[in-house]
Amino acid sequence: MNATEEMRQVLGRVKREEFAGRAAELQRIVSHAASSKLGDRDGGLLILLAPLAGVSELLRQAYDQIYNRQGDIVPVYFALPQTETTAVSAAIEFLNTFLLQYIACRRNEPSLAHASLTLNDLVKLAPVADVDWVEELVTNYNQQRFGDDDRALVRFCLSAPSRVPSHCARPFVMFDAVQLSGYDDESVPFATEIVRALVFSDLPFVFAGLRREVADTFDRAGLNARSLEVIQLNPLDEEDAGTLIRSAARRLAVSVNDETRDLLVQQLEGSPLFITALLQSARAKHVSLDSYLACERLYVEEVMGGQLSRYFAATLERVTADPETRRALVRLLSESATSKSSSGMKTASFETWFRRLELEAVEVEKILHRLHIQELVNWDGDTVNANGGPEAWKDYLRSRFRLDALREPRALVFADLMAAALKRAPERVARHYRQGAHLLLRELISRFNSQRVPSRLFNYSDFAGLYKGADPAEVAAQLDADTKLIKLPQVFHTTSGVSFNPELRQFADEDSCVVAHAFEGATYSDANEIVWLVAKIESKLEASAQLTEQWLDRLEAMARRRAFVRTQIWLIANEGFDSEAGSLLRKRGAYGSSQQQFQLLSARLSEGEDPASHSGDPAEFVLVLPMGSDSELLAANTVEQLARRAQFSPEAINQIKTAIVEACINASEHSLSPDRKIYQRFRVEDDKLVITIASRGIVPANIESRNGAISHTGSGETTDGLVGDVSDEFGNAAEQRRGWGLKLIQTLMDEVEFERVDEGTSLRMVKYLRK
Amino acid sequence: MSEPLTSNVRSHIVGTTAVVYASDYLNKLTGERIERECKKQLDSGCRTLVIDFSDTGIVNSIAVSILLGIIDIAEKREARVVFSDVNDQTIQLFEMLGVIKHVVLAKDEQEALNLFTPPTQTQAMSH
Repeated sequence: MNATEEMRQVLGRVKREEFAGRAAELQRIVSHAASSKLGDRDGGLLILLAPLAGVSELLRQAYDQIYNRQGDIVPVYFALPQTETTAVSAAIEFLNTFLLQYIACRRNEPSLAHASLTLNDLVKLAPVADVDWVEELVTNYNQQRFGDDDRALVRFCLSAPSRVPSHCARPFVMFDAVQLSGYDDESVPFATEIVRALVFSDLPFVFAGLRREVADTFDRAGLNARSLEVIQLNPLDEEDAGTLIRSAARRLAVSVNDETRDLLVQQLEGSPLFITALLQSARAKHVSLDSYLACERLYVEEVMGGQLSRYFAATLERVTADPETRRALVRLLSESATSKSSSGMKTASFETWFRRLELEAVEVEKILHRLHIQELVNWDGDTVNANGGPEAWKDYLRSRFRLDALREPRALVFADLMAAALKRAPERVARHYRQGAHLLLRELISRFNSQRVPSRLFNYSDFAGLYKGADPAEVAAQLDADTKLIKLPQVFHTTSGVSFNPELRQFADEDSCVVAHAFEGATYSDANEIVWLVAKIESKLEASAQLTEQWLDRLEAMARRRAFVRTQIWLIANEGFDSEAGSLLRKRGAYGSSQQQFQLLSARLSEGEDPASHSGDPAEFVLVLPMGSDSELLAANTVEQLARRAQFSPEAINQIKTAIVEACINASEHSLSPDRKIYQRFRVEDDKLVITIASRGIVPANIESRNGAISHTGSGETTDGLVGDVSDEFGNAAEQRRGWGLKLIQTLMDEVEFERVDEGTSLRMVKYLRK
Repeated sequence: MSEPLTSNVRSHIVGTTAVVYASDYLNKLTGERIERECKKQLDSGCRTLVIDFSDTGIVNSIAVSILLGIIDIAEKREARVVFSDVNDQTIQLFEMLGVIKHVVLAKDEQEALNLFTPPTQTQAMSH
């Protein structure tokens, strides 16, 4: 096969190199075709789609790749017809498509895959190796189709791939069932028949459908979807959507610039369907999309009468075939979508919908079910939230309602929609850029992950006193050498402050105030639970005491209202805080940082993002020892060698050895470890030796009782209140004599603390090199 | 009748002084062996216990607690305890854990014996 053949477009609508995004998904599908074994009932791959994600081009590209390999796997791509059809005709079409594509691939004639041929034509075209089974299949089909059992016929057609003899090339069916809900009125349970045919064929397959529908379909068919591989397909992320716009614009010769590209990415919400539709329309109308005005004009035209309009109209038709009901539905959805309820939730009861649509309850249920599947509403059986769907859908509803129900002039509706879209455009892009910055805030907090950072990064007054006006490289270097560190908590959930207090919306963007639930210390316990309340304050100058106080009051009030037991407030102001505000922050126990501190923190947390990456570090040694058999001596001997190489004094080496022995004993004695192993990590740095001793199992009571708060930082001082007065601390009464290990370690080492691990313990000890 | 437990601890008696040798790594197991041996020597009338650490590299905290238990027992029986030939690392550990104030330290076994036993009465006995 030559390079040209490898790149042939058979079913793909765009060239391989122009197919933007979805590279990983494409690879998975193609690999799945090759890797799944014959006879494996779990050989299915489910693609669960968000409604705007788009899957057909992905499957077409996968088809082309498998086709062009011309191996012993024959790809078959079938999409349920969008136009009104029945289960029987769709099943027959499947049979026809299957044979057509199978033979096209076997004959290596791509054009055949697009031909319109009868089954008899296909028998004649079948290669010698396949002609017998193809002929038999067609003969049997001709017998079946004149029977009066529709379900049997559907089943026969859908089972065609499993009728291919095992010595022939294996079919790999990719079933695009996005339109499945269009068949739920059929007398034949079509969805059930499709998935049963695929699963029971014992052939690998792909089944793509709307995510809210697929699981239901499998459940109804009595099949377990959870045993299959799954790809979750969402709308394109910003980068891929931008790439798609650039690529499609180039292909269609439509002019776009960076500004309009960003706008379209936001406005079309990463939907390949909408993006392609708009650019195709621009090409057809010879419109350049190089201004917001041009983009919005075309967008409104599309929503009111172009491809987007047709897409939404078809969606509505699938929801209800009756025009009268559709009109009522448009009115209801439009009113819900534009509702100004204070909570921002467009929620109504099922009763309300039942009254408004004036239909039988069962009909209302069907409509709501279909809207729910399309994610245009969220319906839990009781309440209906009609705030779903993309912005274009809401614009479509508004325009239809005004045109059809209110009978307003089209020109007026167009002008209003256009004006609204134009006003929205800069706001949308600005909000996106702001959100980008604020998302960084949430991401940053999520990355805290028990890392240690200079405490000055949370104290603006202190930081400004030392570093204001200093060279950034110098600041970074100084911070590197800073030994005054704080340990950040492990954050397990972040959300907008608005979720807890909707009133905050009037003071800040949704994502500029973050509530982060976290744990400090080594154990997940009540005492270690803490909630960080973080806000980015808008202030061009150093934030004043008044502004700072307002935010402290707001966040403290929220903490009280939500009964957060332990909290830590952290305010971030672009230019930091004036001295009065700094005093206030100190007094109220809050942290305050400038944007510069925030960025420095961000850089540090990025560096420490993946502790596992240290595993390949040449300065790190890992030792795994079985518990017992005096194996702590091996650890002590190992660390002695390392410490000697790092030029620690003999006294320090002895201290380290004793600490290691104690740590190993602690791990062995208390953990009830299931694998009876001690995991040791030694990291030699310029000025210190960092040792981690970990074991699986339970958290020993002597650690649990301190709630993991042990954090010893040299000079005999510990943050949990232990003071290194040795004789007092250890005592010598007989009953006190056990359980000295941990205290001993704290005395011998400069830093000691338990790190957060899911199971068992991980004790981190540091000894500084004093030359 | 059950077999008497053997302690596998090297020791010898000089008059009323028992010299007990600690192993290279003094942990729970070897500490308990020493404890047993010391008790045995006290039961047989020894008035002084010399525990010799000349072979001992590392002592862990469990062993220290056992040593303190031996000191308690000896005190109750009005016997004295001497630690001989203790390395710097172990001395530091003993200091930290408050052992030093309850025992006499001797440079080596001979110095320990000289503290309490007239040289003429030396009578070696191996176990």
